[in-house]
Amino acid sequence: MTQMIRMTVNGQPVELTVEPYRTLLDVLRDELDLTGAKKGCDRGDCGACTVLLDGKPVTSCMMLAVQADGHRITTIEGLGAGGRLHPVQQAFVDHGAVQCGFCTPGMVLAAVALLEENPQPTEAEVRDAIAGNLCRCTGYAKIVDAVMSVSQAAEVNS
Amino acid sequence: MHRFDYHTPATLAEAVALLDGFGDRARIIAGGTDLLTALKERWETPEHVVDLRCIPGLDEITHDPTVGLTIGARVTVRAVETSPLVRRYYPALAYAASTLASIQIRNLATVAGNICRASPSADTPPVLLALGASVTACGPNGERTVSLDEFFTGPGRTVLTRNEVLTAIQIPPAGSCSGAAYIKHSPRRAMDLAMVGVAAAARIEQDRIADVRIALGAVAPTPRRSAAAEAVLLGHQPDAQLLEEAGQAAAAECTPISDVRGTASHRRAMVAVLTQRALEQALAGAHVEAEVRQ
Amino acid sequence: MSAEPLVVGKRLPRVDAIDKVTGAARYTGDYHTRGMLHAAMLRSPHAHARIRSIDTSRAERLPGVKLILTCFNVPRVLHAGQPEPRAGSLVRDQYILDSTVRFHGDGVAAVAAISPEAAEEALSLISVEYEPLPVVFDAYDAMADGAPSIHGTERNLVIPPVVIAWGDVDKGLAEADHVFERTYTTSRHVPAFMEPYICTVVPDATGRLTVYSSTQAPFMVRGTLSEVLGIPMSKIRVITEHMGGAFGAKQDLYQQEYLAALMALRTGQPVRFEFSRAETFISGRSRHPVTVELKQGVTKDGILTARQARYVANSGAYGSHGPGITWVGAAALGSLHRCENVHIEGLCVYTNAPIAGAFRGYGAPQAYFALETQMDEIAEALGIDPIELRKRNAMRPGDIGPAGTPFTNNQLPVCLDRGAARIGWETRKGRSGDLRGAEDLQGCVISDDGENLGGLARTVRGIGVACELHSATAYPETREIANAAVALNEDGTVQLRIGSADLGTGAKTVLAQICAETLGVCYEDISVLAGDTDLVPYDLGAYASRTTYIAGGAVDQAAREARDKLLKLAAAKLEVPVDDLSVQQGFIRIAGRPDAIVPIAHIVGPEQGAPAETITGQARNQPLNAYSFAAQFAEVEIDTETGQVRVLKMVAVHDIGKAINPAAAEGQVEGGLHQGIGYALMEDMVIDPRTGRTLNPNFVDYKLLTSLDMPEMEVEFVESGLGDGPYGAKGVAEDSLCPTAPAITNAIYNATGVRVTQLPVNPEHLLAAMRASANTKTRRRQVSSTDV
Repeated sequence: MTQMIRMTVNGQPVELTVEPYRTLLDVLRDELDLTGAKKGCDRGDCGACTVLLDGKPVTSCMMLAVQADGHRITTIEGLGAGGRLHPVQQAFVDHGAVQCGFCTPGMVLAAVALLEENPQPTEAEVRDAIAGNLCRCTGYAKIVDAVMSVSQAAEVNS
Repeated sequence: MHRFDYHTPATLAEAVALLDGFGDRARIIAGGTDLLTALKERWETPEHVVDLRCIPGLDEITHDPTVGLTIGARVTVRAVETSPLVRRYYPALAYAASTLASIQIRNLATVAGNICRASPSADTPPVLLALGASVTACGPNGERTVSLDEFFTGPGRTVLTRNEVLTAIQIPPAGSCSGAAYIKHSPRRAMDLAMVGVAAAARIEQDRIADVRIALGAVAPTPRRSAAAEAVLLGHQPDAQLLEEAGQAAAAECTPISDVRGTASHRRAMVAVLTQRALEQALAGAHVEAEVRQ
Repeated sequence: MSAEPLVVGKRLPRVDAIDKVTGAARYTGDYHTRGMLHAAMLRSPHAHARIRSIDTSRAERLPGVKLILTCFNVPRVLHAGQPEPRAGSLVRDQYILDSTVRFHGDGVAAVAAISPEAAEEALSLISVEYEPLPVVFDAYDAMADGAPSIHGTERNLVIPPVVIAWGDVDKGLAEADHVFERTYTTSRHVPAFMEPYICTVVPDATGRLTVYSSTQAPFMVRGTLSEVLGIPMSKIRVITEHMGGAFGAKQDLYQQEYLAALMALRTGQPVRFEFSRAETFISGRSRHPVTVELKQGVTKDGILTARQARYVANSGAYGSHGPGITWVGAAALGSLHRCENVHIEGLCVYTNAPIAGAFRGYGAPQAYFALETQMDEIAEALGIDPIELRKRNAMRPGDIGPAGTPFTNNQLPVCLDRGAARIGWETRKGRSGDLRGAEDLQGCVISDDGENLGGLARTVRGIGVACELHSATAYPETREIANAAVALNEDGTVQLRIGSADLGTGAKTVLAQICAETLGVCYEDISVLAGDTDLVPYDLGAYASRTTYIAGGAVDQAAREARDKLLKLAAAKLEVPVDDLSVQQGFIRIAGRPDAIVPIAHIVGPEQGAPAETITGQARNQPLNAYSFAAQFAEVEIDTETGQVRVLKMVAVHDIGKAINPAAAEGQVEGGLHQGIGYALMEDMVIDPRTGRTLNPNFVDYKLLTSLDMPEMEVEFVESGLGDGPYGAKGVAEDSLCPTAPAITNAIYNATGVRVTQLPVNPEHLLAAMRASANTKTRRRQVSSTDV
């Protein structure tokens, strides 16, 4: 028995029919072709599938698509505007925070959510905010640097 | 995942009626993080999934100085962790919530779900037990309230029947001159399960322990209190030796198993150490409060 | 040419960074094709069994099921799990699907269906009748008389013993003042890259296959599919655009490639075969669990007189890279320190455990754990500073290295000195295991100056060091080769085509920097194409620590050829001697005429009546090898009541010749430290000792360190420029984790007096040993050591 759901995805209203046993991650990737969110473990243990649900980071593999009915979803494809990168994305580029890139979309979104809530986090707060996003390439050092730089940039600009 | 039908009852009564009709063929979903794991691993293959998300009034945290704290069934772990009310009156609960999985999971998972899945290693039950929590459930015959002490019956099992919905968790007001703490022992600082979890809550009266609750996680088939440790402490003036004795009593009483996360003997040794540490923290909190009051 | 490089040595953003931060980068699992089928594998619930029969009839009747493959309907071709033609080590011991299963999780049958759900459901409808066979999981047990035979080889050995020897060990031991002997064991360490194993095969009407594969070696996948399935290479195209990590383990085939190709050919439909995370653990490749029996003789001054070792690697059910790893591990054991009498024996053993294979370090980390732990023991016993002991035994130019080629230099002493300064070596407790700050582990705290502070002593700290050296290439096991092709477009921009895939290390970026520097164009003007067997020149793959060194050398030569052609053409067009010309950042300059700056486009672009000039460069690079060196330092803190170890700080000083992109090179080391710390403290894929079932095939119980668990890291490069790679570069990728675990366990010894001889550190054992050690000390007031 399929279900009709309505969501706002990256600012656009979306209405589609889904099987109730499909996860939000699968629907985003397979139905909406938003493949930025990755399937790293499909058990909520790695964070590669992170998207923002009403602005808060969630593991989209651990959520049924039907549960997103009526909510606002932001994926990595929805960041930035007018062809410009979001400051967090730009910082990841500038700081060499990207290696294989498989964790990157989820990592960027976790950082964006943190900075929305707490524009000038400490390093400990940054590390806490991305603790649900496993990375096997970087040792997190340059990722933390990148996020901290956005916070410092905000400080300078304010 | 296998195929199932999905229901979104608009009222509690409707939810109970659905569950009553489906019996063992249905499962409740709130946050879904535990249920989805069970479905993906095919540990469970329900024909129906009943979502509580359209039922109003289940997503609130309220506090009343005389009644205490009430956490609705759909309140997320992250909401509890970040709630100013919880942080102020029950900081140990806020902390325990913060140790569960990741922010992403905590934004979905509910405290009620953490209790209802009845995992021996779950992070919120020990502290809720230490804080004297009870739960309210709604079934075909109306509401009932159950002390958390009597709630867990085995791994994955509780006193709730298939046609009951847990609607709220209540925690009584923290008494004066009291403190509580939770210590999670795991190899990693995040994204981990407790190898051992210890929660302690204590109230001091005239330098003596007037009230104390010790609860242990991951060292028995269910999260459970350590009556033996509590008995060692009650009525006594706390000192290092007493706390060590309490730790030993808790260790002697628990019934851990050996698995890939740790051996029974190590778990038992950690119960002794961490019970002392949890008590130190809880008593320090109680003393601070006592000083503030004087 | 300018003396100072303009592009090489700069911290430039990666060529693929924007695609990756925006989610635009397409990984293998991101390709969707109409009518795509989904494949799933039925896996063995026995660690060793013969398949009597398979009944697929019920599964075949399930709606949506298109094809089921079993050992009874796939070609039976014996092939190697490590398929590159590495002479001398090719072990053919695998079938696409076999009627004998050899580990818990071995492939039994595969289903192609219209949805993942249907494929999964079909698996549950297949009935298999197994005849269980006796099992063996331990390498020593497998070599013993009467052990079950896994592939019919003598003593279950994958290859005959590898022996590396020179001098006379008996004589060396006789000459020694002290002899040290101990056994060290290591864990089943898993690469645990974020992207699970996956491939998608798309057939066309003529039966030509396009294979999207997350592989380090696209040409290897093409060659092996061709060999095993009997399809001409011209009918197979393998594409690897972006990969979510590999670390060595994505240079095997995983049954999925053959099965997906067969399914695509038989159904005429595209097939995606994606392993779950659990399958990626269970049927993937791990680092070999190794036992090293090490015996060394030293003079009273700490000079090595003899080294005797046995390296026993548990290969699991199939050979995979076992032969190469055993060779590299044995060679590493014969290396790092100077010694005139050496005898190393390497044994690679089949068991019914999951398959071990290639993983960053390729057999060396196990060897260095043993070697560098025992060096610490020797230093402690002889009262010699561990850094001084390593310097006394350092390799010298002209000494023969593990790859059989001589060292041209050894920067290890420099690495040691710089690292010592950074970690604060002078503050390290001279007498290890002194338990400064904690006189009585169960009782009170004693401050540094002996005052009893009361309360509970809960933590102690220590500092440790360990070293390594590693060859950038697989020589002499493999004769190395890489190709590169450069083409100048008519507007002066550049197409660079390289054979190896970029597994996420930044290979494309580094190669673009080399190309820009040598050719004299802007970095931004280079477009890099890699990982498409139809479009790029042949390459063995992105393995070892070779890409910057070998592919970089090929790029340098190809760019040089293109530059020379460009300058020759420019000389003709501008009517000046070619020796007066240079090219930088896209502009041609004429010596002595600072005003004359000509864009490349003016030379190569079309003119009225004349077509554009096509300038290309092509090169094939076949170097031998280059050795990199590293010294790593760890500062640790141990909870004396729980045995938990926390790494507070790591310092890594690496001689890599030249960092082409320092940010990328640092990233390699920082990532390697993440894997190395995990290897030391908590990463271990555990199997049930009775059934062989993997107990922790998930990220909850196989523990990767999170951002909160990682220590402060300082990374420094010794840029001697002495490598013979491009711009003096050597390798770095594998070096990064080789010494990490022994640096940490040596620091644990320094803090507690407990010697760790088994990875990962077990807090329960450490705690017990600390208590025993502390009690001994309280009684005897002297340093003792206890083993874990």
